[in-house]
Amino acid sequence: MLKATVEVRLKRGVADPEGDNTLKALNLLGFSRVAAVRFIKVFEVDLEEEDEGKAEEMLETMCRKLLANPVIHEYSIHLLH
Amino acid sequence: MKKGDVKVCILLIEGTNCEEETSHVFEELGASPERVHLNQLVRDVPPELKRSLEDYHVLVFPGGFSSGDYVRAGAIWAARLKSRLLQDLRTFASEGKAVVGICNGFQVLVELGFLPGIGGISEVPQAALATNDSAHYECRPTLLKFENRGLSQPLSRFHKDQTMLAPSAHTEGKFTFPQGDERRMLTALDRADQILFRYVDVEGEYAGYPWNPNGSIHNIAGICNPRGNVIGLMPHPERSFYRYLHPDWTRGGDGPDGDGRLFFESILDYVMENF
Amino acid sequence: MGEIYRREETPFPLYTIDLLEVSDDELLEASRELGLALNLEEMKRIQDYFRRAGRWPTDVELQSLGQAWSEHCCYKSSKYFLREFIFGIESPQVLLKGDAGVVEFDEDHALALRIESHNHPSAVEPYGGAATGIGGILRDVLCMGAKPVALVDPLHFGRLDYAHEKLPKGVKHPLYLFQGVVAGIRDYGNRVGVPTVAGSIYFDDGYVSNIIVNVGCVGIARKDRILRNAVQGPHDVFILAGGRTGRDGIHGVTFASLELTDEMWEEWRAGAVQLGDPIMKEPLMHACLEAADRGLLDGMKDLGGGGLSCVVGEMALAGGYGAEVQLDRVPLKEEELSPWEIWVSESQERMMLAVSQDRVDEVLEIFELFDVPATPIGRVIEERVSRVFYRGHRVLEMDLEFYTRGPEYCRPFISYRDMEEPKEVVPSKPEDYGKVILDLLSSPNIASKELVIRQYDHEVRASTVVKPMQGILGKECHGDATVLKPLTTSWRGLAIATASTPQYARLHPFRGGASAVDEVCRNLVSVGARPLALSDCLNFGNPEKPDRLGCFRDAVRGLGYVASTLELPIPSGNVSFYNETPASPVPPTPVVLGTGIVPDIRRCITSDLKAEGSNIYLLGRTKAEMGGSEYYGMMGGEGGEVPDVDAARLKASVEGLLRAMESGLVRSCHDLSHGGLAVALAEMCMGGDMGAEVRLDSGSLRPDIFLFAESNTRWLLEVVRGGEGRVERTLQGLPLTRIGEVVGSDLAVRIGGSSLVLALEEMREAWSSALPRLVIG
Repeated sequence: MLKATVEVRLKRGVADPEGDNTLKALNLLGFSRVAAVRFIKVFEVDLEEEDEGKAEEMLETMCRKLLANPVIHEYSIHLLH
Repeated sequence: MKKGDVKVCILLIEGTNCEEETSHVFEELGASPERVHLNQLVRDVPPELKRSLEDYHVLVFPGGFSSGDYVRAGAIWAARLKSRLLQDLRTFASEGKAVVGICNGFQVLVELGFLPGIGGISEVPQAALATNDSAHYECRPTLLKFENRGLSQPLSRFHKDQTMLAPSAHTEGKFTFPQGDERRMLTALDRADQILFRYVDVEGEYAGYPWNPNGSIHNIAGICNPRGNVIGLMPHPERSFYRYLHPDWTRGGDGPDGDGRLFFESILDYVMENF
Repeated sequence: MGEIYRREETPFPLYTIDLLEVSDDELLEASRELGLALNLEEMKRIQDYFRRAGRWPTDVELQSLGQAWSEHCCYKSSKYFLREFIFGIESPQVLLKGDAGVVEFDEDHALALRIESHNHPSAVEPYGGAATGIGGILRDVLCMGAKPVALVDPLHFGRLDYAHEKLPKGVKHPLYLFQGVVAGIRDYGNRVGVPTVAGSIYFDDGYVSNIIVNVGCVGIARKDRILRNAVQGPHDVFILAGGRTGRDGIHGVTFASLELTDEMWEEWRAGAVQLGDPIMKEPLMHACLEAADRGLLDGMKDLGGGGLSCVVGEMALAGGYGAEVQLDRVPLKEEELSPWEIWVSESQERMMLAVSQDRVDEVLEIFELFDVPATPIGRVIEERVSRVFYRGHRVLEMDLEFYTRGPEYCRPFISYRDMEEPKEVVPSKPEDYGKVILDLLSSPNIASKELVIRQYDHEVRASTVVKPMQGILGKECHGDATVLKPLTTSWRGLAIATASTPQYARLHPFRGGASAVDEVCRNLVSVGARPLALSDCLNFGNPEKPDRLGCFRDAVRGLGYVASTLELPIPSGNVSFYNETPASPVPPTPVVLGTGIVPDIRRCITSDLKAEGSNIYLLGRTKAEMGGSEYYGMMGGEGGEVPDVDAARLKASVEGLLRAMESGLVRSCHDLSHGGLAVALAEMCMGGDMGAEVRLDSGSLRPDIFLFAESNTRWLLEVVRGGEGRVERTLQGLPLTRIGEVVGSDLAVRIGGSSLVLALEEMREAWSSALPRLVIG
């Protein structure tokens, strides 16, 4: 069994309304020293796979096929041990 | 083909929620719509429930929140279609039959790679329907200007620059091209006459929020594939099918028909003429 | 655990508890330790029962009683008063009372309606609490066999700019709660595809520690497909459909029946609040309705408070039978749940169906197509007992009458008449009425709620023919009621509105209750609808405190007075007590959901001015009733006469106005509420993007009182030029005054020697920018 997290975030420069609006809300809630917020989605994935290479490959495909839209997203894969 | 023989497949899965009204407008126009659960196409179900895509002339992906839109609007439904029904869908579209995605359905067609489909159906999406600039759901009347110069045969009843009121209701509707590539993609889209509808204000001018409810590039509200028979748009023409569904109808207006009616009539005319 | 608990020799955790010979203190201790929230009297009743049975109760049995006898489930403190003032309102239109009330819509169709509170969960976890509130109210309507077609959400928060440093310990900021609740309703309601069409948002610092989140639903069904929340006979099988059962939501009802303390917040956060799953609910609704539509169901009921432990007994008892359940058949989210946890879990998205043995397979097939789990878990028995088995062991056996009926109290109460009335402080007369109007338009309780309204899908199902925002495209203003056209085959319309009157009820509970009914009727009539039926949600403090209970009783009396005069049935409702913290209770908050009938939606009327040259009329009497008004609130006024209701005059006005509307001469109509005449006029102008010239005679009243009083039973009408005579004749006998006409692009008012002029843009800016400024910054 391998565990992994996949972070899907908006590419730099792509507007991030969720992050921006969260920032405004935090400011309104009194957190005046928050300068920026970025919205990132994290998927935690349990794999029935021992081989790290194969696992990474599988996760890559997952990202391409479902978890991210390459037009706006970039992603990073982290295998946990 | 007679109108009553036009078979319309309104496809749904869990979370689809505009199938009833979408089905109703086709019925009202005299066609034969059927609400079909994806399971009826791809799974072992009792024979009386089993359906096949090839029996239909129009395929509609209606609005809603398929699978909750949880990963990204339309992404899960698209993934399920890719795994079970892709070949049937390709065949359906290649025969020139009409494929229509409204709201969540548009998101599905983009995720599937059918739209914009520049250079053919793409493996990975060529565009995205990103989160609205307001970062939340927007349910409001929007006005669309028809921009197509003739490519989209199913919408040929619209004339260029005609406006249609169709309400928007979505969280992820900001039509987006890859950064840095916007100009090239837009030009390609425009040259190929794939732009169908753009958001305008009451004066008919391209305008910002709230008339463009999501911040779409170039005010794009709807597009078609290079052949013109796969159509996607964010706003809901079924929600302006009748005059009394227009938000301002109590102020007076002409006749019982709403702006959205022409959208569906035009598609049916196309099928009757060609099949 | 103490020595009264005995672990049984079962392969799973099961305890019996020795209650037979213990002291009163020990009884109370057991109630507390097990989280039952039952008082001594109730524990003694249980003790008696098991003494007679000659055995120790199991933990499953005690937990079940804790649920069944909770305030939330059996209305033990409120039923007495509801029966006194509300239950008796007779109407031939009421077809059935159950989890939702069912009333006639047309010859072949019926409506199901209900409104309820989700206050405690929303205070702890606003997003999940509000979302599951929507989930629950949908099930209440669904289980009558009705298809949900509309949601409403009257909400109450502290002021959004409340100072952070003043927040009591552990209490979340109003802005956070507001955003969470709105997002929860939005994300759940939009996903299940039921339009959210009406509601209100009221801000007052009385809600800082306890927010009030009410959610209502209206559904439609063919009359011959209406279902009872009951079994039909011993051939019935219980089928549990929908989501799996987990440890989430255990003890929700017992928490809702207590005041929240710091420790409880923490405890609750750990277990009792859930998120809900609209994407399970959506196909669950389809499958249930499909089965109901095919006539396959004998009865249906939703699993809400108390979970299985309540639903099985209630369905069996309502049918006059008993039930036997195999708990191990219940599909679980996680292993290792004790039987009592399975039995009382409040996991979301579950429905219980009573299905005749010979139709079970057909029903299961429907659920399979929709990918919704459905499992037979028990059967109906002749004997009126509930029996529950787990892995072959009997874990519960109780008489249903004892178990499900629950206690009922008429606790001591003090009427508001016995309390001291606050002295009236009249604010000094302002210099500039125009500025006051702009300030009122930008006060949060009056300002545009577009930011919220448009986050809800109010048009899904394509049947919302009069929308919550009404007027010229891009200039819309709040309407009074929303109208749906629920059937594609008929022009008949369903009007929906809500009213909530804490501002009056806190000063005068009776008039607060009465005003709520008056307001909801005004709203419905404004769009051309005849009021049909109401559902009420009554949010009050701790009923064990006599002044709180007195408030409640008086408010119910007020509701009952007006509703009975108008012969308006209230076939469903909800009471939420214990909305208080050790510091204070919430303002008494009566909330009403109103439904009305429009014979033909093509005759509907909206609030926006339509045509230059039309006449503007004021219908109704304006009095020096400033108690609870927005004007007093803003100008530092205190106390004052709270708007009263003359129910007979309300009835005559409703009839008269509907007749006048039938003539087609009334182009727009708006009721007068928060901010009074001046604000209503401004709203009509903004929606139509048209000005008005108005000359007012305030009579013996001070001009500002006349402009801003919130007296009940008042409307503004726009009457087609030339239609004056007919409309005046139709409304003869009612207080009707022609006050001006539609003209230009300013609101110009002359009153008592002074005058004011406000430009449309100026008013719109004040009205529309206030809420975004508070929420988005």
